[in-house]
Amino acid sequence: MSNDRVGIVGIGQSAFRARRDDASYPELVREAVVQAMQDAGLAFDAIEAVVYSLSPDAMVGIGNAERLGVDAVGGRNKPFLRINNGGATGISSVAAAYYHVVSGMCDVVLTAGADKVGECGDSQSVLNKIWDPSYERPLPLGTINMLAMSAVRYMQRYGMTEQDMAHVTVKNRRHASLNPKAHLRKVVTMDEVLESRCISWPIKLLDCCPQSSGGAAMVLASERFIRDNRLDAVWITGVAHVAETYWMGDRMGNNPTAEHADAYALGRSFEKSYRMAGITDPARQVHVAELYAPFSNTEFHVIDAARLVERAGGSIARLRDGEFELGGRIPVNPSGGTLCTNAIAVTAMARVAEVALQVWGRAGAHQVEGARLGIASGNGGDHQIFGTMVIEA
Amino acid sequence: MGLRVQPGVIGCAVRPVIVGRERSLEEMIYDTAQLALADAGIAIADIDGIVVASNDQFDGRSISVMMASGPVGGVDRDIMSTPSASEHAFILGALRVASGQFRTQLIVSWSPTEVSSMAEAQRLGADPYFHRALPLDELSAHALQASVLENAVPHARAAAQAVAAKNRMHGQLAWPDPPLHPEPGPLRWPLTQAMTTAPVTGSVALVLAAPDFVAERGLRDVAWLRGMGWATEPSFLGDRDLATAPALAAAARQAYEAAGIADPAAAFDVVEINDATPYAELLAYDALSLCKREDWLARTTDGSFARGGRLPVNLSGGVLTWNPLFCTGLIRIAEIANQVRGRAGAHQLANARCGLAQAGSGFAMQYQAAIVLAREARA
Repeated sequence: MSNDRVGIVGIGQSAFRARRDDASYPELVREAVVQAMQDAGLAFDAIEAVVYSLSPDAMVGIGNAERLGVDAVGGRNKPFLRINNGGATGISSVAAAYYHVVSGMCDVVLTAGADKVGECGDSQSVLNKIWDPSYERPLPLGTINMLAMSAVRYMQRYGMTEQDMAHVTVKNRRHASLNPKAHLRKVVTMDEVLESRCISWPIKLLDCCPQSSGGAAMVLASERFIRDNRLDAVWITGVAHVAETYWMGDRMGNNPTAEHADAYALGRSFEKSYRMAGITDPARQVHVAELYAPFSNTEFHVIDAARLVERAGGSIARLRDGEFELGGRIPVNPSGGTLCTNAIAVTAMARVAEVALQVWGRAGAHQVEGARLGIASGNGGDHQIFGTMVIEA
Repeated sequence: MGLRVQPGVIGCAVRPVIVGRERSLEEMIYDTAQLALADAGIAIADIDGIVVASNDQFDGRSISVMMASGPVGGVDRDIMSTPSASEHAFILGALRVASGQFRTQLIVSWSPTEVSSMAEAQRLGADPYFHRALPLDELSAHALQASVLENAVPHARAAAQAVAAKNRMHGQLAWPDPPLHPEPGPLRWPLTQAMTTAPVTGSVALVLAAPDFVAERGLRDVAWLRGMGWATEPSFLGDRDLATAPALAAAARQAYEAAGIADPAAAFDVVEINDATPYAELLAYDALSLCKREDWLARTTDGSFARGGRLPVNLSGGVLTWNPLFCTGLIRIAEIANQVRGRAGAHQLANARCGLAQAGSGFAMQYQAAIVLAREARA
């Protein structure tokens, strides 16, 4: 047996809600950390370093808010650093923790974070500030109208309809109803989605993720430590990030540098992860996928980028056929996904955590039967920075 | 050390002050990244991954890595950001090279000064219920630490005055042409103008590479990473003893153990310390085991840490010469890398072979790091 692999040995997640008035920001982090440590069966002495997962400070109203989380994660006088890759932060933090271990620097690393998006006032006001102050900020851009423009282009290129988008919401809400950690767990109908208030055409209210509050944490360890301590683990076998242009204007028009309908850099990131994990035919080899898709339309191009279908746009018909439902060929977002829970700082960590639970066989009511290999992704910035992982039993 | 692959610094661009407004922030970052690549003698096409560090409040953006992605070559590449501290970008980049999954990393950090009030931007980093109302900014936290040290250590003030004079003198030698002078900083008791420096705009970049890349390209000026450690103290000042630096002591232990250093006071040719105030430098002497606190006055007044002394500290002039707030930690690492590579310019120490960089940041240096770099890969 090699000693080179990095395993996931503990997972903690809040039951995500719109508000958590009962818990301060550090208490929310602590809640997830305690769960992860108990899940791993380890004491804090075993943790050699901490990677803190926090996206925009403005969501919690404190500059460098990770500093306030030091005691919550047991980080005092230990190696500690924070990652912020926007919405990808959670998966990027797991990746950073992975590099701590695979480099040989540490045997056991904790990554943790929390967000209070539901209590920030207006996340779109905060997120408008991600754009350049002189050109794109004044449009005004937000993440909803940014991805509505992607939806329009995807419709034009591949024939997606508003009904197709509604199918995604109906599917993911059905999945979330089985997941006690999910924020939006109410099953909805096609008509309810299609008749919901238009936010930024073609995105309607029920095509949107919620603003969630909650925390997540994971413990990673070296294969040697796992073996020596007889721990149970699942394995990170593929890790990658790829970014694309910052400028929205460069992704649209007649000659875009990266087509905004697609998720070009995400596709590149998946290619790298698959190569590392030895996956040559993801549509046949992947058993379960947790893919970061905060608006219903984006699930299509994310499935395309993961090559779970044969060509870009192929996800539309296959989703109509139920291939990505629980019980289908490759269940996508069996937890309900980002569409049902979005505590931004840890949303992409939850994608990794949920896939890990799936290949571990510990996902509960939303377990995908026989899942042994899964994939996770995260999108950050203005659909710009993408992280991907392959997790195997 | 326990790293799977030993990273080396093959290129640096240290720009501790950037005057004039003819270049935008994006262009400034681009310039710095290109200078580091040119110093390494490689092109952006050779870079496998990038780690950047910046402060959203100083940049006036919610996720400042986004804007920087283009200027540093992040498009179509693996890019991550560590907004906790500039030195953390180096640490993560080094871990990525050490993983064996990347041959090279470009590390970039910057610190602009366009924000209407740096103190207010820092105050947002204090918890909203207790510290923010004080009001607390980084200089106030440094002043509290200085005050505690003056009470705890006899003659600390005289030693601090000597450190400040030393670093300003080093700064004059390091920046002879044109002779630029740091602006005197704002005051917080007991800190005087001679003990602080106003923030300036600056940036810094480094290129890290794996040994096989170094060999393949025939690179010779390499600062090899012998050891690194980093740690944090808790955020509430009331939970800390500001007269001590336990996180730095922990970081130093990690770094020294990895580098096989038993006697730190005799191990280095040159040291860079984050001297946001001279009291911070004094405290670092102690935590890094370079000089016990009871010897502070004697060693700072006999020239031990000055140019020509037993162990020169902050030949660059340190933060007391130029203070690009957010990236001062990474600059300390780049300065030591340049010293052991023989590329430190006017303040080069002859035959510097092994150096120590200490980086500290946050309120009263909450975050601490110690990095050992040497001209030879192994001791």
